[in-house]
Amino acid sequence: MGLQPIEFVETKGDIVRNCPGTKHHICCGYKTIDLVEGCILSCSYCILKEYINTPNIKINSDIPYILSQISEAIDAEKTHILRFGTGELSDSLAIDRRYRLNQPLVEFFGETKKAILELKSKWAQIDHLTPFLNPYIVISFSLAPQRIIDKEEKRTSPLYKRLKALRKAQECGCFVGLHLDPVIIYDGFEKDYEYLIGDIGRIIDLKRVLWVSLGLLRFPPKLFNRFLDENRKNLLYGEFVRGEDGKYRYVKKERVRIYGMLYNLLKEQEKDLFIYLCMERKDIWRSVTGMTPEDNEALMGLFDSRIKTLYGGIL
Amino acid sequence: MQTIPIERINMNDRRFCISYPLQDDALLSSIRMEGVIQPLLILDKQPHTIVSGFKRIEAAKELGFTDIPCFVMDMDYKKAMQASIHSNLGRVLNIIEKAYCVDKLFTMDFSEEEISGVMSMISLGFYEKIIKRMRALANAENFVKDFVLQKNMTMQNVEKLLGFADHEIKDITEMLNRIHTTESMMREILQMLSIMKLKYGNIDFSAIKGMNNIYDLKRSLKYSINPILSGLEEDLSEIKNRCALPPSIDIKVDPFFEKEYIDIRIRANGPEEVKGALLKINSILDAGYIRSIFGLTTY
Repeated sequence: MGLQPIEFVETKGDIVRNCPGTKHHICCGYKTIDLVEGCILSCSYCILKEYINTPNIKINSDIPYILSQISEAIDAEKTHILRFGTGELSDSLAIDRRYRLNQPLVEFFGETKKAILELKSKWAQIDHLTPFLNPYIVISFSLAPQRIIDKEEKRTSPLYKRLKALRKAQECGCFVGLHLDPVIIYDGFEKDYEYLIGDIGRIIDLKRVLWVSLGLLRFPPKLFNRFLDENRKNLLYGEFVRGEDGKYRYVKKERVRIYGMLYNLLKEQEKDLFIYLCMERKDIWRSVTGMTPEDNEALMGLFDSRIKTLYGGIL
Repeated sequence: MQTIPIERINMNDRRFCISYPLQDDALLSSIRMEGVIQPLLILDKQPHTIVSGFKRIEAAKELGFTDIPCFVMDMDYKKAMQASIHSNLGRVLNIIEKAYCVDKLFTMDFSEEEISGVMSMISLGFYEKIIKRMRALANAENFVKDFVLQKNMTMQNVEKLLGFADHEIKDITEMLNRIHTTESMMREILQMLSIMKLKYGNIDFSAIKGMNNIYDLKRSLKYSINPILSGLEEDLSEIKNRCALPPSIDIKVDPFFEKEYIDIRIRANGPEEVKGALLKINSILDAGYIRSIFGLTTY
């Protein structure tokens, strides 16, 4: 699968960075590790193609350097429990079985016991990592109705495999993360999401879900024309406006309605789920969740307390 | 150079013709006054095939000429095509003529290097996308070519237009022929029509066909592809109408109904006018109109 050339590089810049987030929206203070840049999964709505200029997949192979950067970030943070992820510029697991890139990081977080590493993916292959998994690793999958996976995420694992992999990660003692992102409006999407959330509740132990993110489809203007040229009916079915960050988003009235629907469906499954909105404005937060994190710092505080609740004193 | 009877020239053989349109009023006037000064280039075969001079012979025929000056040459088709293109490079080619150049070079199996060379001379990059667009335009129906020239369309808009089915192109050109549009308006309209087609599978021309005004057309298309936003705009307009605001007071809401705050602007020439405006604002506040406006952005 995937014809993109793989290139091993030893970048000496900042490989561990603050998640760029987006202007005028509340972000969660995530730390990204650019272990791999580029993705072989080629989801139709993916914004990576707009940001990365080369078709090559770049692997940063200087693991000691990366670990030293992670250490520095952990040591520098005095207030919050840091959450790191390798899924910002790539899919965390898509090429991992072949190149075994995450194993040293997984072991490092297990030994350090001071922060969390999230492996976020749409590629349900974790068997090679199970011997090394530890409570400081969060296995996360982006979840969508199978209809969207078939049309827009053609190279990724089917939904049932993602859910099975999440269950397996829980059985290995890990907490898991769920990302309903991007949520796409198409004809009949409400029913599909209702079924999806029902499936999640049946297969996964929701008490051991560390976080759930909700994010409605958003994309930079350049992608709008690409979607139109490629006749992406699903992606352009909803009604869009340009947000303050310049990206296209669904009109606010719809965002509030859909977030509210998903939030309630999830809470009906498990009332204690920690659900956050990815890159949303605070008025949307308030309308949907009743909470109003004033800024990024406040949202990081919510994450801290969630982690403390589930981990107790071990973090 | 020879003078050849027009009837011995095959005017229907246009395989070397890159001129569009063939009717040229300025040339017609010139030939009426001075005759055909520049001879045609024709092939030495019977009947003669024109290599260059399609517009001149068209004008001469219209003026009732029976003979026309020509250079009769013996050359193969590729050389003839090159001669046709190079004899036209002295003037600015329009987009259709450029499209003909590209299409004919491909049809006659010129090498990529030769085609790329010509495309560079007519300011076109040798890219698959451009070649595809140009060939589609060269093979479009004449009413499409006329529309493209008349509206002085950019390549981007031409591509959008040609992305529609033939029957839709006919309806779109008919509709837009009646309306004055700028390039950006055209882009906007074509994009809205593309979205409408993508969303609903077809374009409902019955609702927009009779429109003669760009703003009505845009509003109607917007309502179709952005019903929620259009509904909010209508609600806002209705509330503002009920407020009966004087010209000195305006209430502005974020155009996308995203931000929760509103702006209230007062224009006043003195304390008395400020006082009057504040009284008016107080009255619409008491009547609940301001709350209704906030209701459009807060859920």
